[in-house]
Amino acid sequence: MGQDNFAPQKRSSTGGGGGLPTIRNEAGAGGRDRGFPSMPRGRQMHKTFNNIKITILCGFVTILVLRGTIGVGNLGSSEAEAINQNLIEETNRILAEIRSDSDPTDPDESPETELNPNVTYTLGPKITDWDQQRKVWLSKNPEFPNFVNGKARILLVTGSPPNPCDNAIGDHYLLKAIKNKIDYCRLHGIEIVYNMAHLDKELAGYWAKLPLIRRLMLSHPELEWIWWMDSDAFFTDMVFEIPLYKYEKYNLVIHGYPDLLFEQKSWIALNTGSFLFRNCQWSLDLLDAWAPMGPKGPIREEAGRILTANLKGRPAFEADDQSALIYLLLSQKDQWMDKVFIENQYYLHGYWAGLVDRYEEMMEKYHPGLGDERWPFVTHFVGCKPCGSYGDYSVERCLRSMQRAFNFADNQVLKLYGFRHRGLLGPNIKRIRNETAIPLEIVDQLDIRRSVHGKTESKS
Amino acid sequence: MIGKCLGAQRCRKIHRTLRRCKVTVFCFVLTVVVLRGTIGAGKFGTPEQDFVEIRDHFYFRRRAGTHRVLEEVQTTSSDNEVASDTNAETNNYNDFELNKVLVDEESDDSKLDPDKPYSLGPKISDWDKQRSEWLKENPDYPNFIGPNKPRVLLVTGSSPKPCENPVGDHYLLKSTKNKIDYCRLHGIEIFYNMALLDAEMAGFWAKLPLIRTVLLSHPDVEFLWWMDSDAMFTDMAFEIPWERYKDSNLVMHGWNERVYDQKNWIGLNTGSFLLRNGQWALDLLDAWAPMGPKGKIRDEAGKVLTRELKNRPVFEADDQSAMVYLLATQREQWGDKVYLEHAYYLHGYWGLLVDRYEVMIETYHPGLGDHRWPLVTHFVGCKPCGKLGNYPVERCLKQMDRAFNFGDNQILQIYGFTQKSLASRRVKKVRNGSRNPIEVKDVLRSLHPAFKAVKVSSS
Repeated sequence: MGQDNFAPQKRSSTGGGGGLPTIRNEAGAGGRDRGFPSMPRGRQMHKTFNNIKITILCGFVTILVLRGTIGVGNLGSSEAEAINQNLIEETNRILAEIRSDSDPTDPDESPETELNPNVTYTLGPKITDWDQQRKVWLSKNPEFPNFVNGKARILLVTGSPPNPCDNAIGDHYLLKAIKNKIDYCRLHGIEIVYNMAHLDKELAGYWAKLPLIRRLMLSHPELEWIWWMDSDAFFTDMVFEIPLYKYEKYNLVIHGYPDLLFEQKSWIALNTGSFLFRNCQWSLDLLDAWAPMGPKGPIREEAGRILTANLKGRPAFEADDQSALIYLLLSQKDQWMDKVFIENQYYLHGYWAGLVDRYEEMMEKYHPGLGDERWPFVTHFVGCKPCGSYGDYSVERCLRSMQRAFNFADNQVLKLYGFRHRGLLGPNIKRIRNETAIPLEIVDQLDIRRSVHGKTESKS
Repeated sequence: MIGKCLGAQRCRKIHRTLRRCKVTVFCFVLTVVVLRGTIGAGKFGTPEQDFVEIRDHFYFRRRAGTHRVLEEVQTTSSDNEVASDTNAETNNYNDFELNKVLVDEESDDSKLDPDKPYSLGPKISDWDKQRSEWLKENPDYPNFIGPNKPRVLLVTGSSPKPCENPVGDHYLLKSTKNKIDYCRLHGIEIFYNMALLDAEMAGFWAKLPLIRTVLLSHPDVEFLWWMDSDAMFTDMAFEIPWERYKDSNLVMHGWNERVYDQKNWIGLNTGSFLLRNGQWALDLLDAWAPMGPKGKIRDEAGKVLTRELKNRPVFEADDQSAMVYLLATQREQWGDKVYLEHAYYLHGYWGLLVDRYEVMIETYHPGLGDHRWPLVTHFVGCKPCGKLGNYPVERCLKQMDRAFNFGDNQILQIYGFTQKSLASRRVKKVRNGSRNPIEVKDVLRSLHPAFKAVKVSSS
């Protein structure tokens, strides 16, 4: 009987317990009209709630206070990690200093003067008789001919900024790219100039190649051709030799498509990532005509607007050397085009996206020496920008592709030594030919250099 | 509960007080928290810092597992959340982990026979004869490109994997450009190696199988010049005195008494040396190699070397100590063809040289190659590509910059520019362009030295 008495209380109290969990006035404790036996129950629930609230609040405050004094970060960390952290901070400080563009002490530095837009920028004093001067020099210096072993003397010019890249991967691929160029040039008797200086502060960035090319032409009269190549271009056909005989009547050899240039006026009709300039007066004149859109600041910005307006597909940004050259050749077609050879029979510049996935197929079906879409001469990683922070493509895709191109080319070099890479991505190599006590038979077969012979003489 | 002890009236008073206290405490806490969120409270920090710290703590935990001391720490200002796979579809090079991508696609199926003694390759005993026959059959590839000028191949290299130090690759790049410049001026070809030819001879021993392979594949090369990747040319005008070595097959920087009498482990340096292509070189490599194979052999050999050589610390066998030991113990066999050169710095220890560059510029001129204007400045112990060297990072990197600029200045001056200072990356013009560049005689003479002249064929 006693139990029956309590049962209704229980039920009503659960109903009352679900009431508002707020702090209520004791006077109003009996907010709901319940029987007296149910009141303590409801109040007990409220009391419990209040206690829980207080507990939570106290716990929160304790944690805050403890954090302030002891700190959460010290839970579980050892001294070694603290030393690591110090070292990392120290190194980061040094790296930041190295990466910064600031020079330590320049007390004599005059403030940089703004280029006067009314004065036309020039690359240097005007020379009008370079062909004559060069001829004279060559005749006086027969031991430095412009043709060696029947081949015209070529200088490959490339470069990168003097500061470290924004990230370490960029420098690593610059290193691989220069090794790749060293290999090709050693096999083909070409000298390399790697430029890391801004010779002209007005023409910085992609324009820096102009003063550099001019300076090198004038300092090396024995050079017949100067070959500019971007730092993000890799040689992928180590056997292919540029067919210079095709260009005897031309002074500029550049990869592109005539219909894109003349009909569509596209801003990517030509590519200035890999081109050849003959060392002659015509080239000096072209460089002088090319340079005016380059000086940085308002000139370059304004020129950028003109180029975007006149060339198809060009986004809006400051003037770049490629668009400027296209615009120049289009607007002064009659003056220049007869000496310009637009080459597309082989990949003097090969846009990477269509090539890198087919390397395995190429290795199966074709052989080096073709230079065209079957075995591309140059694979150029336009848009990847590994030296910066952000490229136009996914980083993974770019780096995989660059590594594949590098290995693809390196395999051709290692073949002479009896090795090749284990796959196109990995760094390790494996032997493909047993060693022998008579190595020279194989050297005769495999040495890439032995395809070109000839005599030494000067040709004007 | 308390009410039972004290009485109902008291109890109610206490409850009231308690409730007021609760309210007070609660408001106080709220005030503190809000103030902290806005102003901050010294070492208590702000909630944003808390969040950042906690995030960094977890992120650091994840990275610390790779045991790298020097690594790029994400700047906290970046707005990328900590993704579990930072490689996926990002256009930001800073987020990328390259080592995940560079993976061998084929497995290593070469089997190493542990009982077979190590050898660099099949024994060749008539290399001189093979080579001279080849040279006769191939007159277009002579081993001498001038009367006193042998064909030289400079061999250097580095690891195919990115450096552990974030700026290591940049310094390798600069060092390579430096070598390209010297070699272009002196008619020397370069072979830059990025492949490990023999896994057993890894580390400093990797040069031995490489040198052997290159000698055998390039019979027209008369001298192979090995140069470490941390050595830079600092005298662009100095030409090696080849006639001095016409009877020698191996030229290293060092001192006879330190090697043969004292057996000092740094009595010579194998970071930069010349080796003539011939049977003698192959035999020397075969005699040099046995201490190299990694593992037990190298460790045991290391102990022998530490015991036998003066001042050598305890570590595994390295190629330099092994060379000292070889020469000191087998002098009669090798000594007469080894020239230990110290008249110029074929290898120049950087610690003694880098602080004096300004003095050198004032007092002397390029072309001397010795203590007055060193040919090579070799940054032994700096290890810019690795984790930790023997010297403080800052000193090493700054001095490498200075040495690079010291050498680069000499090239730029030929073209009419100079570095603004040894610490600067900027250049300035020192010579204006001319309308008659041919007549700027000094310039053209430096660029067209006699030893680069081509033999004109008499037809």
